[in-house]
Amino acid sequence: MSLRLILSCAMLAGVLGPAQTASAAQGPLAMPAARIPAVPAQAPQGTAVAPAVRAPAAPCSAPYRIDRTLPNGARWQLCWEMRTIEGLTLNKVVYTPKGNRPVSVLRSTALAQIHVPYDSGTPRYHDIGALGQSAIPLLAADCPGGERREQSVCVTTRPRGHAYLKSGYEEPSTSAQGHDLVVFAAFQVGWYTYLVEWAFSDDGAITPRVGATGSLAGSTTTAGHGWPIGVGSRDFEESHSHNVFWRLDFDIQGKAGDVVEQYDFSGTRTAKRKLKRTTFTKEAKALNRRTRWWRVVDRGVRNADGHPVSWELNNSDSSQYRGPAGEAFTRADVYVTDYRSCERLATVNPAPRCAGSVDRYVNGERLTDPVLWVNVGYHHVPRDEDADPMPTHWQGFRITPRDVTAKNPH
Amino acid sequence: MGRQRIVMALAGAGAVVVVGAALLLPGGQGSQAAEAAPREPVPGDPLTGAEIARAGDIASATSRAHMAAGRVNLLYVERDDGKDAEERRRAEAYLYDYATDRLIVRTVDLGRGTVVKESVTRGVQPPPSKAEEVRAAELLLADPQYGTGVREAYTRAGGGQLRSASDLGLRGLIFTPGQENGPRRCATHRCVRLFVRLPGGTWLDTSRIVVDLSAKKIHTLEW
Repeated sequence: MSLRLILSCAMLAGVLGPAQTASAAQGPLAMPAARIPAVPAQAPQGTAVAPAVRAPAAPCSAPYRIDRTLPNGARWQLCWEMRTIEGLTLNKVVYTPKGNRPVSVLRSTALAQIHVPYDSGTPRYHDIGALGQSAIPLLAADCPGGERREQSVCVTTRPRGHAYLKSGYEEPSTSAQGHDLVVFAAFQVGWYTYLVEWAFSDDGAITPRVGATGSLAGSTTTAGHGWPIGVGSRDFEESHSHNVFWRLDFDIQGKAGDVVEQYDFSGTRTAKRKLKRTTFTKEAKALNRRTRWWRVVDRGVRNADGHPVSWELNNSDSSQYRGPAGEAFTRADVYVTDYRSCERLATVNPAPRCAGSVDRYVNGERLTDPVLWVNVGYHHVPRDEDADPMPTHWQGFRITPRDVTAKNPH
Repeated sequence: MGRQRIVMALAGAGAVVVVGAALLLPGGQGSQAAEAAPREPVPGDPLTGAEIARAGDIASATSRAHMAAGRVNLLYVERDDGKDAEERRRAEAYLYDYATDRLIVRTVDLGRGTVVKESVTRGVQPPPSKAEEVRAAELLLADPQYGTGVREAYTRAGGGQLRSASDLGLRGLIFTPGQENGPRRCATHRCVRLFVRLPGGTWLDTSRIVVDLSAKKIHTLEW
């Protein structure tokens, strides 16, 4: 049955698009043969695939070192630190696809703010106080299958479903189950518990996300700003946003050569769409669009196909809260700034002699060492099920490898 | 120790407080390091408990008199994560002067044992320290109206008689006037919004209360 379906689909494609399918059919088969000779047996120096990259000394000691090879052979190495202000911070993140050499991805990533404005206009919290002081000691059950580091950090591995499934024509299908290395900590900020998590997938993707759980604030409002969660329709629990900001200092094989590009696909109500690339040479604020994405690319680091190694950033799930003029930091979804050590939080920045919020970090500087700030909003309209404990609601985004390896290494 | 100092300050007697190296270690900090076996840290490691204490000590050297008088507090010590100093062990000590409303950040080179940089500014507020959360709660309890309210709520929640602020679960966030109608002076004062947890895991509604640590006053937001 399945064989017949595949055959008929192939025939259909042949009938409908002979001109295109001729090249398309050859493409995937012909490409490797055509491309491989183009790549020198010895890759150019200074690239991800360059030979004899000596393993540097571990950047941190054992309690703070995470080095995990996932079942498919993908390896992640990083360091963690519980900083007083930012809380869980991950440093020196290195990805090694199976059979390939290590590529450093992020020098540092941490939460940069959780801005919580309520729908009636007040209150408006900036939930990064001293997060490191608010870390909740985790129980063994809070870190299933993993190990707790110094009580408050969980390092574990968990399944992520199908890595792929390809029908095998007359043979059995080929499939694989994927896994994530997960690093997380939980923080108590008022009645909320925030789960702050990074998942490092065995396909090279990184998923930072924050889960809000604990309890609702219990602040009541009018019907226009809330939802009745008590008996009847008297008490309206107030709706609010969680605008979570992450700071990501990408350093692809070191800080030199990193460039941020924005991709758009023009054409609407047309058959054709055209790729449009915008390279940010100066600090920038960017807005989400349905097909828009960004990447950090290092043209000095190439895969075996000769393509520059990059990490792609998608941020399409945000509720895109836009606040009043005094909260200009809410008015973009991605900020690209040149690295400055004093620019730590997206709002209420704690450093002297430094701008106070991420929108002000963008001030026309030329980009030499880009740092990305990602703003993902979630608008929480309470419901009866939220009381109590409140079920976790998640928000985050995805970072995926683009041309880190010449083909699927797993 | 920290609480004792605060109680004294509130009672108006806070002139003499013993200051020693142990006091300079910000409360509750360095637990992750303190539990680890003694070791020589490599550059990317978090600060050890000993390094935090030493950095706090070095950074406080020129502020001891003001610290003894309760005018200046060491909030906490963070590792300097700057890219240009990756190979060095450096710490940033956050101090706050409540009399002049100045944030002082002193960068300590742990290798050299000296302060290598000092930044002083007004109007920049790093998050409240644990000691400040307790101090804010003490001020709240000292307020005739709110103090009674908190004590009654604590008893109603099954906690018996409230003995001190440390019986409460506390979390503080900085309050700046910004988009909320609050006291203008919180633009420069050190103002804190407290979350207060009662026995049984319930929370007081403290969202309209702002504690001004600089003026030692309580404000109620109107909205």
